[in-house]
Amino acid sequence: MSSLSETTSTRKRQSGLDWMQIRMILGGVIAVIGLVLALLSNEWGYLLGGVLLGLLAWKWQHGVLVAYSILSVFPVLRIIAISLRPTSALLSRTIEIIPANATLASYSSLFTEENFLLWVWQSLAITVTVSIIGVVVAATGAYAFSRWRFAGRRPGLIFLMTTQMIPAGMLIIPIYVIVAQLQLTNQIIGLVLAYITTAVPFSIWILKGYYDTIPPDLEEAAMVDGCNRMEAFYRIILPLSTPALSIVFLFNFLGAWAEFIVAKVILVSNNVWTWPLGLNDFIGNFNTDWGKYAAGSVLVTVPVLLLFMWQSKYLISGLTLGSVKS
Amino acid sequence: MVQGIGGLTGETLFATLGQIIPLIIVVVIFILALEFALYNLLSKVFKLQNALAYTLLSPAAVAILVFMIYPLLFNVLLAFSDLKRDTFGCYSPVSVATCQLDHLYGLDYAIDNFTKVFFRIRDGQIVDWGRLLTTAGSTFPALLGRTVLWTFFNVIFHFTGGLALALILNQKIRLKGIYRSLIVIPWALPGVITFLTWKQEFHAQYGFVNILLGGFGIAPISWLDNPVYAFVAIVFVNVWLGIPFYMVMLLGGLQSISPEYYEAAQMDGAGAWQQFRFITMPLLRPILIPAVTLDVIWTFNKLDLIVVMTNGGPQEGTNILVSALYNAAFGTSATQRLGFASAFSIIIFVILFIFAIVWITTSGGLKEIYEK
Repeated sequence: MSSLSETTSTRKRQSGLDWMQIRMILGGVIAVIGLVLALLSNEWGYLLGGVLLGLLAWKWQHGVLVAYSILSVFPVLRIIAISLRPTSALLSRTIEIIPANATLASYSSLFTEENFLLWVWQSLAITVTVSIIGVVVAATGAYAFSRWRFAGRRPGLIFLMTTQMIPAGMLIIPIYVIVAQLQLTNQIIGLVLAYITTAVPFSIWILKGYYDTIPPDLEEAAMVDGCNRMEAFYRIILPLSTPALSIVFLFNFLGAWAEFIVAKVILVSNNVWTWPLGLNDFIGNFNTDWGKYAAGSVLVTVPVLLLFMWQSKYLISGLTLGSVKS
Repeated sequence: MVQGIGGLTGETLFATLGQIIPLIIVVVIFILALEFALYNLLSKVFKLQNALAYTLLSPAAVAILVFMIYPLLFNVLLAFSDLKRDTFGCYSPVSVATCQLDHLYGLDYAIDNFTKVFFRIRDGQIVDWGRLLTTAGSTFPALLGRTVLWTFFNVIFHFTGGLALALILNQKIRLKGIYRSLIVIPWALPGVITFLTWKQEFHAQYGFVNILLGGFGIAPISWLDNPVYAFVAIVFVNVWLGIPFYMVMLLGGLQSISPEYYEAAQMDGAGAWQQFRFITMPLLRPILIPAVTLDVIWTFNKLDLIVVMTNGGPQEGTNILVSALYNAAFGTSATQRLGFASAFSIIIFVILFIFAIVWITTSGGLKEIYEK
């Protein structure tokens, strides 16, 4: 596509700079109209609309991307805005991000009135355990799939794909019955084991795809120099696979961090909940508490989001390297 | 009312650690012992050439066997049972005293469970389609049709949206990295928060969707109180959620296409559409087919979004097969027919499995991955 865009841009240059200038002026005018309307009506939505439309007229690619970016971050902005509202204004129709009379009361009530920190602690303990064990188990398993042509390899890979097809209910029902029979309800052990099992197949797929892109010559060279196979794996393959390992860690982390359905079935009592159950309870049918919900959401989302943004280059290259063949 | 800070006291802190740390130690010791024993067995006793491969795979294999295969087989057994809330005591090993059933597992239960998925039987006659939940709208064909619609709309919009964004981002454009990071945010957001926040945005009075529509002079819509609007709302949220995945996959694919192909096509006089049709699309195929396959499966099985946002309501307007299954097993209705739900889940799996086999063999899409 890059050459395609080059030709269109040269075509534009041939027809003179006027066309780009016209579009720029048009865009500017639309943005100014938006500003005037916003000042007249005191509704900042007009300014935003004017700027977006103006950008669309000037450089439509940027207009589309900015609009879609806003749509993508929109829920995050909204929970931040609601979490800062005073109780009296929770149900207002305003769309300001920092509301009038902003307060941190919703945040402090999480720690004084709810078991919020306990829920987060439960989730964190479960999630970290699942992510680490999942990566360790998948890293070696995927290596076997990538480097050996053993009997049962192909059916094994097809089976891993098939596990993606299992409806959640098909696993939750037996797990629920087994957990109830073993009287492990409200214990997090069952939850950890269930999460690891669902995380492993997808992790193996991604890691296998990544190992496939690393030439086997590297390990063979190391083995000629006196490493055994496992040393070659630990010293060469694993360090080279950092992007893929981090993406798998993060996927497992995100998956377990926000898991709701299985947790809801297994963890019944309030003092062993994970945070998704707690936040869901804030907006249950009987006691809707948007302030606490939004404040809790911000606290559990922002760290994960920062981690994700920080790693996003790794993530994207890690995911596509597994599937794009060079 | 709440002890410590946000419920966290020294006691509760260590209670969690007291469960997690022994678990980690047991798992680590188990993995090491398993690998050591298996490797010695395979390489020294059986003298297998691929001993190390099987050894490295064994922890994953054991995990999947014990926590996935065994529950699945147990699920099949449950389909041969009459497990529901009233009879739970019979199937529990602890209290068998109050049991009313004369046998726990049997073919008669299985026939009954599987028949009920499709038919409603009165006095030995089929009178109607079976109801999976209590209401008349929860028959099997209705749910299947809605599931197909749900999957179709989602996959189409995921694909077109993701492809459009990927094509734009693949051009020479400033701030590409920032746009890309922002657009993948829906993917990173915890699902529950996404669903609950969007649910609130579709609120008739205070939701942002209606505020925005009001700006264009459109009267407020009670999104989640009307079956059709509620369906539109959940499709919108899931489309929003799924576009980043396609964008990332397709952008990776576009970047791996060599510019030489386009140069050659331009020399032959191919226009933009022809280049897209005859170069871009065929070369994206190896990525597109697995992505669509996974997406169809994930969308078909998308349970958490529906349970959190609408729980299948109003009037079953947003129930798809898996959410009806969840409600049949764990719903608020007093029945909790787990044996019946097991039978139902097997039928859902069979439908998906047949689809996958037909799709994979006709598209040939996954061949390249496992034959590499």
